[in-house]
Order: sequence, then structure tokens, then C-alpha cells
Amino acid sequence: MVDSTAPGTTLAPAVSGPLAVRLRRAGELSREVLRNPTTFLGLIIIVGLITMAALAPVLTEPNTPDAYQMPRDWGAINEPPGTPGHIFGTTSTGGDVFYGVVWGARTSLRMSMIVVGFTVVFGTAMGSIAGFVGGRVDEIIMRIVDVLLAIPELIFALAIAAVLGPSFANIIFALSVVFWVKYARIIRGQIIHVKQNDYVDSARVVGDSKFNIYRKDVLPNSVTPVVVQATLDMGGIVLVGATLSFIGLAEAGLAEWGVLVSEGQAGISSGRWWASTIPGAMVFLWALAFNLLGDGLRDVLDPRTGGR
Amino acid sequence: MTAVRDEPLAPEPGVDSAPVITVRGVRKYFPIREGVLQKVVGHVRAVDGVSFEIPRGETLGLVGESGCGKTTLGRCIAGLTDATDGGIYFRLAESDRLFLDEMDAVPEAERTLQHQARIEAIDLAHRIDRMKGDSWRSYRRNCQFVFQDAFSSLNPRQLVKDIVGRPLKVYKEASGPELTDRVVDLLQSVGMGRQHLYRYPHEFSGGQRQRISIARALALEPEFIVLDEPTSALDVSVQSQILNLLHELQQERGLTYLFITHDLGVVRLMSDDIVVMYLGEVMERATASELFAAPRHPYTEALLAANPDLLEGDEEAEMRGLEGTVPDPARPPQGCRFHTRCPAAIPQCGWEVDDAVAWLADNSTTLDELSGVERASEFDAAVRFRDSDAAAEAKALLEGPEVSAPMQGALLALSASGAELRIQFTEVDPVELEDVGEGHLTSCILHTSRSTHL
Amino acid sequence: MTAAAQLPAADRTTALVASVEDLKVHFETKAGVLHAVDGVSFDIADGETVGLVGETGCGKSVTARSFLRLIPTPPGKYAGGSIKFWSKEARANGSDPVDLLSVPTSDILDIRGNRIAMIFQDPGKALNPALAIREQVAEVFYQHRSDDLLAEWNGNPPSVIRRAAGQRSGKLEWVAMKFPPLRSQARRLRKRVDDLVGEALAETQIPNPRKIMASYPHELSGGMKQRVMIAQALACNPDLLIADEPTTALDVTIQARILELIRELQHAHQTSVLYISHDLSLVRRICDRIAVMYAGRIAEIGTTNEIFHEPRHPYTRGLLAAVPSFAHERGKLAAIEGNVPELISPPASCRFHTRCEYATEICRRIDPVLDGHGIGRSVACHGYVSPEELGVAAADIPRLDRSPA
Repeated sequence: MVDSTAPGTTLAPAVSGPLAVRLRRAGELSREVLRNPTTFLGLIIIVGLITMAALAPVLTEPNTPDAYQMPRDWGAINEPPGTPGHIFGTTSTGGDVFYGVVWGARTSLRMSMIVVGFTVVFGTAMGSIAGFVGGRVDEIIMRIVDVLLAIPELIFALAIAAVLGPSFANIIFALSVVFWVKYARIIRGQIIHVKQNDYVDSARVVGDSKFNIYRKDVLPNSVTPVVVQATLDMGGIVLVGATLSFIGLAEAGLAEWGVLVSEGQAGISSGRWWASTIPGAMVFLWALAFNLLGDGLRDVLDPRTGGR
Repeated sequence: MTAVRDEPLAPEPGVDSAPVITVRGVRKYFPIREGVLQKVVGHVRAVDGVSFEIPRGETLGLVGESGCGKTTLGRCIAGLTDATDGGIYFRLAESDRLFLDEMDAVPEAERTLQHQARIEAIDLAHRIDRMKGDSWRSYRRNCQFVFQDAFSSLNPRQLVKDIVGRPLKVYKEASGPELTDRVVDLLQSVGMGRQHLYRYPHEFSGGQRQRISIARALALEPEFIVLDEPTSALDVSVQSQILNLLHELQQERGLTYLFITHDLGVVRLMSDDIVVMYLGEVMERATASELFAAPRHPYTEALLAANPDLLEGDEEAEMRGLEGTVPDPARPPQGCRFHTRCPAAIPQCGWEVDDAVAWLADNSTTLDELSGVERASEFDAAVRFRDSDAAAEAKALLEGPEVSAPMQGALLALSASGAELRIQFTEVDPVELEDVGEGHLTSCILHTSRSTHL
Repeated sequence: MTAAAQLPAADRTTALVASVEDLKVHFETKAGVLHAVDGVSFDIADGETVGLVGETGCGKSVTARSFLRLIPTPPGKYAGGSIKFWSKEARANGSDPVDLLSVPTSDILDIRGNRIAMIFQDPGKALNPALAIREQVAEVFYQHRSDDLLAEWNGNPPSVIRRAAGQRSGKLEWVAMKFPPLRSQARRLRKRVDDLVGEALAETQIPNPRKIMASYPHELSGGMKQRVMIAQALACNPDLLIADEPTTALDVTIQARILELIRELQHAHQTSVLYISHDLSLVRRICDRIAVMYAGRIAEIGTTNEIFHEPRHPYTRGLLAAVPSFAHERGKLAAIEGNVPELISPPASCRFHTRCEYATEICRRIDPVLDGHGIGRSVACHGYVSPEELGVAAADIPRLDRSPA
């Protein structure tokens, strides 16, 4: 037999290990993602926000006993931005807006990571069972999903949070209940599609177990849209969370952007714009950054949108 | 190649001479569901009573056009889907097969307990949808499959080493450096090498991907491989490489192939025996040389005429095709399934009411006035129109010169009363495959024993 | 390219429908510029069928699509050459041909479907699933034959109807045509269209064309859809029909019927055909002349007889030997080993030298030229060139058997 690799084909030279190959591929992908300037901008903003959240105790003196509560300086009420010690100004209750912005980034990061983490895992699990097992199980799970999808996200989360009482933990719980449905639906559709590929049948012919087929063939080829959706949701969840805390479903005084916007809104009419506009801008920045990154990822990872 | 492995199942006596695969009366029906309640309203008869054996070390070619059921049958044989009826047997000894044939003639109620016990024993040991545990594992590793589409049959997220080494891992045959060595051996046996180990499928051409597929199929050293159009997606020059490779591998390893294809040139080159399928049924079966030298079914002849040999005849030689389209496999024609398109059809081929209705639909507008059909049987029905003119017109048309002579010859009675037209055809028994000499089987009544009664 | 085997100039202009000269189509890719078609030249004479044969990626489809400028730009780019086209009128009054690559877009739109029609490999994708067959075929008449629609009108058709025949009706006019006095006229127009569509479909031997007109693409079989495509393509009596693998998706028995049909209609309509296929046994049945393409170049042109009985280029020979046939013993199928070379920045060498058993040093160094592309025999291989012409020693010339049995 003759090796049919003709000279001139652009294949990487010689033998390299599996790890090197995978790293090289990851490198290629990330380079491709970052080639798009808006995606790159999104990533820069995200890195900035996360750094800020990580350095919160360095940037500000943590409040005691609970750092996530706004410190109150009753001696400095309604100070405008630029005041020494209160670079972004203070609220009508003497809260330092800069402190709120910095620790609010932590709150937001915590919220979006918990909610996205839980919903991705739970939603993927439910969607996988529905799509992979099929039949009656699929029928039942998808009907539940249909019902949940028929209720507007925000209103449903609002209802749950309202029933459970105002607390930040309840907001996280409410968002988790709402957001998994999307993932279940996405992954189910993907799995049903991927299952039809011959490589799944190839694995069956080889005699591999169902779980292995799911783990090696079906899931890895189905997760891409979930990754994209999760990135978008990292932004979206903060948006919804801020909305819920804005209307008072979080504890008062929490260092959270929505709460701060809510606290400062009364002052806007009398010219004290900073107390609500600056935290509001943070919410905007956060959501924008993740949307930019998510769109960039979609263009590269999901061939159906014509990115490749 | 690699070291000798312990055979999981000791070969039984007589196994060497037994055909590797015996297909007995296999049917595969797919339900057609309709409505909100997903009620089953009919069945697509993808495979409808097919039987053959594949002797050890030989290649059986399965030919037919798209929708004839050849791929479905291949998938049944590979255990990817279960047959609706009939059995697929692995290493079924001659004596057992004769016993089963004998039992087919005996109604179930009249079989003795002893008979039943023996059938059960045969089924558990040889019938692939009844196998359990070790026998199933043994079949699973002895029967492999190569898919048509080399792009979709390789997991795009796995490296070649993982793809080809996967069967070895599943059966815990090798791991670590030994696994790598085995994979390299396999790659070398299909003309590739160590340099391809850590690459993704998308880095390869179609021909190379098909080589990887073949290497994976060889990993467990199977006895039998189902090749489902392995080269039809490839260019001619690559196709010839793959066909040569498959032949070499068969020679070296004594493999048995089921070669599914629509390409007569390929099947002739690769097969010992050829089975020609049409609409789920076998039309003809013969050795490759016999089938091409003396086809005994008009469908085979039509296939040959539509796809003449490249180097035979001259440029002007006519290339004949077939009229009409393949009928709906949910309602296959009576008698010979090919009669609706057959250039050699005669009145005894199984003409039925549906043929007359289909003819009216294609050649007139009378069916626009159709209001209902009441069937006494497939051969006898009352077709109701909205007015008597349409019925009279339809009658005149069916009696007219435009209708094909065989269909008209099969008409028993045609009577219009008011808006109703009763169409009666001569009833015909289903056709059966018959040996017309030296293992050449055909179902065409022009060639079987029925021809004497025509 | 020099044309050694050309016909005299006078003959050429009267006899030709199209002449492709040194066509180059490149694609921008991440890895570099892909030379998909790299200097292709051939002629199509009036009424003849030219086959363009080659394997995946050889540039045959790109060449065909360039006739109608169907290559998306970017990433594609017409990097050079010309495609000259003589319409019937141009041939009749001896005017100059148009260059399809440089005429304005509005002209190419008028040529598409009217003077040059194309049928595709997958009729399922080329037909609009949301429109009835009638509408899709009628479109061609509205677009290119609106005069014919009004030809048998007694008296002068009102301007509203004239605009309707050209599909230029405004909203108001469209509503007006629903009411008297225009309604009867609009009906007449519609009936005329129906008749023409029915005729066009009947010509492709579709049974019961009236019924087919009312159906949608998904209700038809593949063969039937391809017939509709052919009816659509031939509705305007085009000068040139480009058939891009029209039967690849069909079963063999249907394929033979479609091929027959194309041949019959070609004679009836006096149309030239450019037939693209990878299947040698098909082009042999339908084509007068064949151009074998390899890696963006033409390897060899000749009459069908010449190509099949005296193939000259080693690639053509390999290709013919690789088709399974009665002559082969199992496992002894001649294979062209190796793969098609990358077409990104190809070096100046014979494209086939990596797979050619006769290749010598000069094949790696010098790019062989197709020795003429007119209506005659030409081959791009150093084996047929005298050593003096290349300026090398006789021993360096690849030694192939120039007249195989």
C-alpha cells in the first residue's frame, strides 16, 4: 500500500503528543475568537471587571462584619464624585458609591457564576436525559420545559422571589429555577441532531456502552451552543438580578448594583445623578461585555450562523 | 499483525463450513404515524422477506436503487436495528438451517416440545436478536460496519488514535503504549502510519477518512464486515485505491463481506454472489459472473442497460432507463413489485386497481372528479366519481389504445353504472424466488416454473 | 496560451457559441490564495455537447459557474482571462461576442436563464419549496419572454397587461386586474402562461403536466424535479445549457432517462451543452468532445472517441483504468495513488507530477502548456512535446507510450 498523503498537503509535521495537539487546537480557536475586535473588547472589559472584583478588599476597606453591606458614613451624605475619600460620591444614606461598585462586581460575579453553574449542569442533565433516552421520558421533561417557557422569565422569577421574601439568596434561587429550561431545550435539540451521525452508530457497532457513547460522542459534539448561551447568560443574569433587586427583592443596603440604582433614583430629579447612574453603567458594561464575547464565540464555534 | 487473542467463544464443530451470516425471511417495517395521538396508520415495508447466506471468506453484493431497503437490511444484519420479523443468524450450521426450514412448514401449534426446545437453543446461540452475554459480545466484535459517509462516521472531536483504538479499549484489549502500537499497526495495514495518530478527522481527505474507518473496523479482527456504499462518496481514483485495499484485506485475513452498493461496476468487481433488491424484495440472486452474463430478471437487465460498462460498446450505444417512479413502499404493488415499470411486463404480473388509478392520474383529469374508492380486494374495486360523465370517460380511457397492453390484458371486467366504475383485475399470487439452475434465483415469472402456465 | 490547432478565424466566429480563454478564478482563504481555476481554455461550437470531466476540486464546477458569474466575490475573484459568448443574434449578424466576465451586471442578469441556462446537481435545492411548480416555470416566461406572452393577443394589449406580463405591475394595477374590465384580460394572460408552462413541462415528458403544475417540489420525486428544472432551463430556447452534474443525485435507471431527455431536447432546441460530470461513463454517452480537468487545469481535450480510445495524458489514462469494469480482475483495479495537490500558491510544475509514473525532472520544473485549445486535440503533457521546443535533452522528456493499444 502507498501512503496517500501527498507532499504539499498542509498537515502539521511529524508526530506530536495528544496533549500538544489539543493545546494547539485550543490556541487556534482562541486566536480566531480574538481576531474579532469587538470580541476582544468584550474580553478586556470582563477581565477588568473580574480583576476589580478580585481586588475589592485591596481597593476598599472591607466593611465589618459583613463586607457585602454598604458602609454608611453619615457625615458625608450626597457628596458629588471627586470628593476625597469618596471618588464616585456618596448616596443619600452616606453609602460610598465606589465601594458599591467594587463590591457589587463581586456580588454580580457570585450571582452569575452560581446561577449559570447550576442551570448549565441541571439543564444539560435534563436535556440530555430527554434527548438521549427519548420516548416517554423525553415527552414528560419537555412538557415541563414547555410550561416553564410559557411564563415570562422575569415575571416568574419575580413571583418566586416575592413568595420567598426579599433576600439576595432567594433571587439566586429564583433565577436558577427559571434559567435551566433554556439549556435543557438547547442541549436536547443538539443531542437529537448529533445522535443521527454515523459515528454514534459506529460506536454502537464497536459495542461501547450507552453511557460512553453519550460521554464521548454525543455530549462533546452537542455542548457548543450551551457554551455560547452560558456566556450570554453571564451577562443576562446580572441584568435580571439587578432588576429584581432594584424593585426591592434583595436586602436593603446590599452592595449590589441594582440596589444602588434603586437607592439613588430619588436623587436624579434633584441633580444627584451619580448615585444611580454609575452603578447602572456598571450593569450595562457587564451585560455588554458578555454579550460581545458570547457573539464572538458563537461566530467561531457555531457554524450555522455562517461564522465559518 | 498483533498477537493471537483468546477467542471468547470456542468454535463449535462444523462452524468452519457454516455460512457466517444466514438471513432468513427478514422483514423490517417502519410504522407511519399520523395525528396528535400518533396512531399507526400503516407501515413502510423497507425490507419484506429477504433470505440469503454469506459463506465464509466470500463477498455478497447487495445491489439496488435508493429506497430498495439495502441499507436497512445491512443495519439489521449489523444489529443496529432489530428486524420486525424473520431471523439473522451467525454461524448457523447447515443441519440447524435445514431443521429451521423444516419447522417453517409446521404450524406453531403442531410443533412438539422437543422441536420448540431445539428452536429455542438455536435462536439463543445463533440468532443475533436473541443472543445474550458472551454470544452477543462475540457477534458484536465479529461483525463490523463501514459507513458510506466517512465524514459523519468519525467523531470530529476525537483524535485518530482514539477513534481507531476505541474498540480495543472497549474490550480492554490494550492500553497505554501497547494500544498505541496496535493502532499504528492497524493504520499501517490500511496504508497510513504513525504520523497520523494525533490528528483530527477534519485534517484528512475523504479517502483517508475511509481508511481510518476501515482500520477501526479491523481493530477487533472481525470475521465479517458490512460495507455500506464505502466508496460511493469518493472520486474514481480514490475509489480504486479503497477497493483494492478491501480486496487485499480480505485475502490476508479471510474476511467475509456484505458489500452494499448501487454501482454495478463496483459490485461485479468485488462480489462472489450478488443479490438484486427492489422495493424491499429480492428480485434475483446469482453468482456475479452468471448475473452479468445471463440476467434473468427484467429489473437486473434494466440496471445493466442503464449503466453500461465503460469500455464496452461504442459511444452511440443506447443507454436505456426506466419509465415511471418507484412505487410507495407503504403500499407495494401486488404480484411482482417491479411490474409497474417493467418493460417486459405481461398480464399475469399482478396488475391491480391501484395501477389503473395511477394511470388515470397520470394521463387524464378524470380523477379530479373522484369521490371515493371502495375496495373488495386489491384486484377488485368500485371507483366512485362525482358525475357519470367522468366515470364513462375513465372507462373509455381504460379501454382505449393508450393503456399498456399488459394492463389491459389483465383487466377482467370494467363496468360503469352511473357515477361508479367497477374495475376488476385477474387475481395473481405473490411471486416467489425460484431456483432456475445452479443457484441462480429469480422471482420473474417469465423465467420461473410459472412461465409454463402463461 | 498559443492555439496551434485552431480552426481558421472565419470558421471560428461562425461556429462558436462560447470560447473560454485562460480563465483564472481564485479564492481568498485563510491559508492563502486558492487557484481553483488556473488558466483554462476551451471552445464550445454551435450545437455541440462539451463534457468537462474531473474529480472533486478540479475546478470544473467553478469554470461552469463563471459563465454566469455565479461565483460569490469575495472570497472568489476572476483573476484573469475571458469567456466570450456569441448569442444567436450575434452569430446571425456577425457582431462581436460579449465577454461574460466583463459585461455589466444588468446584462449578465438578462443572459442568465435567457441565453445561457443552467441545471444543477440537486434539483431539490434549486427549486423553491414554497412555490408551486407552475409559478417557478412561469417566472422564466415573465422574466425573459414577456413579448411571447402577448404575441397572440388580438389587438393591442393594454399597458397594464403589458406590465403584468413583465411582472412589473404595481399594487394598484394588481388590484385593478381583479375587477372588470381588466379581469378577463388578466385571465387571458394567465391562461397563456399556463399553456406555455404546460407545453414546456410536456416537452420533458412529464406525465400529466397540468397536475404537476399545481404541485409543490416536495411532492415530486428527484427525477421529476430534475425534469422541471430542465423545462425551466429550456423554456427560453437558450443558446447554451450548462448542466452541472444533473444526474448525480438520481438512481441509475432514472439517470439514463434524464440523459436521453437532455440529448433529445438539445437536438430539438439547437442548444449547445456544457456537461459537467465526474462520471466517465455518462459523459461518454452524451458528449461530442471532452475536456479532462485536473487541479484547476485542463489536462487534455479531444473528441469522445479520442479520449476513450486514445487517451494521451497519463491522468486520463489513469482515470479510465480506475473505473471498475469487466476488464478488471478483483483487487487489480488500476489506482492513481496519492491525492490531488493543494491549490494554494501552486508551483510552476506539472500539477500531476506527484502522482504520475512517467514524471521526470522537467515535469517538476516546467509547467506544461495545453497545445492549443480550438476544436481539436490537445494535451498538456511534456511527453508530447519535442525536446527542442522545451530546450532540454531528449532523455529528460517523460517517456510514455504515445499510442496505447
